Amino acid sequence: MYNIKARGVLIEGNKGYHDITRDITNPLLSKTTPSWWWVAAFIATSMLIWGVWGFYNTIAVGTGTWGLNNSVSWGWAIINFVWWIGIGHAGTAFSIFLLVLHQKWRTSINRAAEAMTIFAVMAAGMFPLIHMGRIWDGFYVFPYPNTRGPLWVNFNSPLFWDVTAISTYLTASFLFWYVGMMPDFASIRERTVSKIKKKIYGILSFGWLGSARGWLRFETAALLMGGLTAPLVVSVHSIVAMDFAAGIVPGWHSTIFPPFFVVGAIFSGFAMVLTMMIIVRKVYKYEEYVTQRHLDAIARVLTFVSLIMGVAYISEIFISWYSDSPYEMYVFFKNRAIGDYAFEFWAMITCNAIIPQLFWFKKIRTNITMVFIISIFINIGMWFERFVIVVTSLSKTWLPSTWHAYTPTVTEVAIYVGTLGFFVLGILLFLRFLPMMAVSELKGVLKETSLITENTNNHE
Amino acid sequence: MDKKLQISKSFKNSMIFLIVIGVVAVAVGFWTGAETRTWANLLLNNFMFLSITLGGLFWMALQSITQSGWSSAFVRVPQALVTYLMVGAVLWIPLFFGMPHLFHWAQSGAVLHDAVLAHKSPYLNVPFLIIRTVVFFVLWIYLAQRIRKLSLREDKAGGLDAFNKIEFNSKVFIFVLGISFIFVGIDWLMSLDAHWFSTLFAVKFFISAFYHGSAVIVGAVIILNRLGYFPFLNEGHLHDFSKYIFMLSIMWGYMWFVQYLLIWYGNVPEETVYFHIRREEGFQAFFLAEIFINWLFPFLFLMWNRMAKNANVLLITVAVLIVGQYIEIYNAVMAETVHKVVFGYLEIGTFVGFAGLFILIWVVSLSKHPLVAKNHPYLMESFTLEDFEEEY
Repeated sequence: MYNIKARGVLIEGNKGYHDITRDITNPLLSKTTPSWWWVAAFIATSMLIWGVWGFYNTIAVGTGTWGLNNSVSWGWAIINFVWWIGIGHAGTAFSIFLLVLHQKWRTSINRAAEAMTIFAVMAAGMFPLIHMGRIWDGFYVFPYPNTRGPLWVNFNSPLFWDVTAISTYLTASFLFWYVGMMPDFASIRERTVSKIKKKIYGILSFGWLGSARGWLRFETAALLMGGLTAPLVVSVHSIVAMDFAAGIVPGWHSTIFPPFFVVGAIFSGFAMVLTMMIIVRKVYKYEEYVTQRHLDAIARVLTFVSLIMGVAYISEIFISWYSDSPYEMYVFFKNRAIGDYAFEFWAMITCNAIIPQLFWFKKIRTNITMVFIISIFINIGMWFERFVIVVTSLSKTWLPSTWHAYTPTVTEVAIYVGTLGFFVLGILLFLRFLPMMAVSELKGVLKETSLITENTNNHE
Repeated sequence: MDKKLQISKSFKNSMIFLIVIGVVAVAVGFWTGAETRTWANLLLNNFMFLSITLGGLFWMALQSITQSGWSSAFVRVPQALVTYLMVGAVLWIPLFFGMPHLFHWAQSGAVLHDAVLAHKSPYLNVPFLIIRTVVFFVLWIYLAQRIRKLSLREDKAGGLDAFNKIEFNSKVFIFVLGISFIFVGIDWLMSLDAHWFSTLFAVKFFISAFYHGSAVIVGAVIILNRLGYFPFLNEGHLHDFSKYIFMLSIMWGYMWFVQYLLIWYGNVPEETVYFHIRREEGFQAFFLAEIFINWLFPFLFLMWNRMAKNANVLLITVAVLIVGQYIEIYNAVMAETVHKVVFGYLEIGTFVGFAGLFILIWVVSLSKHPLVAKNHPYLMESFTLEDFEEEY
């Protein structure tokens, strides 16, 4: 039983079942695309085109167009890869972790968060691919008996584990997302008047009938896939962390890295969800679905996760001193805190561990503008975190004669901006053509979480 | 609703008997000259029951900040742990005197011949360690006690005032505990080998506390239900409880594995030494038991849905996990202090004594107030919880 008096109404505006179907599917059914959509799509496409130029430049000329050198052999490409993978954790975190904790407010947000996961992981996947330099040999990363010797991948390398984990994660997330949308596709099929749309959504829904048996199997499938995806989401970023921590580079070789990375990923994922939902609820006028209380809940989660980030930073900095290893101490107290990249280091600490603590104040949590600004800060902070880890450690390693600074080139910036454009464009297409909230799940929580009574006669 | 826990005289007496066994075992330990071993046992059990207590309180605070409704009928169980926290603070005091027996760095003169210890001495010195331990205990007790008082006030006053304050205090408690327990792990377990370090070590013991603390609460709730309390306990609650244990078993196993894998992979002698001792010198069985009992057993045992909702199965799991936690801390403490596997009257006696004291204090504290926080706003959610396979 849901205590409305203590918890408040989850879906505002006294909605009935039919209202929900109408509100969520109408934007998909309308023939006219709103003008803001075209503007946003234009900007995103321009960014993407610039990224395609960067892509082309890298493939045609080589990775020499990047700012990498013998010391800093990993630059923006890896930073952005890890950043995108981190954002890609939001969907599963919303779908699974909040499910276990009985958080009913997830229903308005989980579908969009899952869509974010798909596009973010796809954006991330581009970076290792072009980083190879010879993209046409990209299939070498897959282990299979081949005519090249046979030449096998290095199974002991975390980089190979990455290939496995990320491709599995992308497949599983996509399936989870897609299966969840099937009943909603069927609703759109039934409601649309356009013949073409009816056909397309009919195929997409795999002929969903909405029978009791169908629902039963649907829910079992969702639960099973959810259960299998939960460990996957942890495995992906753990392995990304091992790319660093398995090496013995000072600043990288730290046992806390895998859980720290996973938490950081959920942190950036939640922040990106917050950023996106604040915009979406505004332009689609979904304030009644994504209420103040929903945003408040995400802000609380961010405060908690920010605390874990803070503890991890403290542990790392403290242990580097405690270890009495001159190299570790150099990394943290010289190279990072007061060295060439001090700005990035302090930006990371401020954005991730300090600014989100402002959410302790209710005034700030309920101020949408402030929440939006802080969510942006977290996104930036998490980018800096990856920068600090990748660049500071590589630029000054064991041999001082190999010390080398790193600055990105235009090509690298273009590729990054391009992936941002790709992500935004993907989200825009999702908003235009796919149901952005799980209609059936919203209906599932409606009865006990709203003031609606039986005699409101608007059942569909 | 206002039902209080009744404790029989014979139960009290048998617990006191257990405490006497513990006292005798420790006294004999000192008397026969096995000083280091006795101190090590005191540290082991002190740490273990402190972990359970703080883990249980963390579980309680977590219910509050996640606004969980299903668990609201059981919050009194972990709330009563705060009384043991006070007793645990007193029991910790003797350890300050045993430090030279346990910690190489605390011996007088050790710092003079060891550059690494000299470097660490601003942090690893006896006065500072005592100060921070005391400060941590004071903060924990103050916050946990405050949450309990507010919950009792809610019984009388009703309304949402106490509820909101509990939520705020839970946040502060988690904030304080999150930072302080890391240092407790470093101070009292990791610094047993003051040269060795791992950033994940203390975090793993935090998860371990949460894990085993939650398990003990599950066990307590089921036993109380068997005795006729919590009549509304149903499969839904059991399923949620076992989800906690299952999830935490994966989390614990993850922490263990990640730490081991990265140290093995890096193969730096300064780091591998920790596992070297525990895999070579008679600790092999304990080393394997730690991971198999704490991770694999609950993971496989609770995987099947039907098993997960069975009260007997959960009780067995909890009992096994208590052994698992003992082994985990045993591995951390004994390999560094006694340097060989010892298990005899002293280990059993000390553990039995601590367990008796812990149970007695907890139960007496629990019996002082009604078992259910009757004005908890989410109480009805807990009473009417249904066991959905799917949540929506």
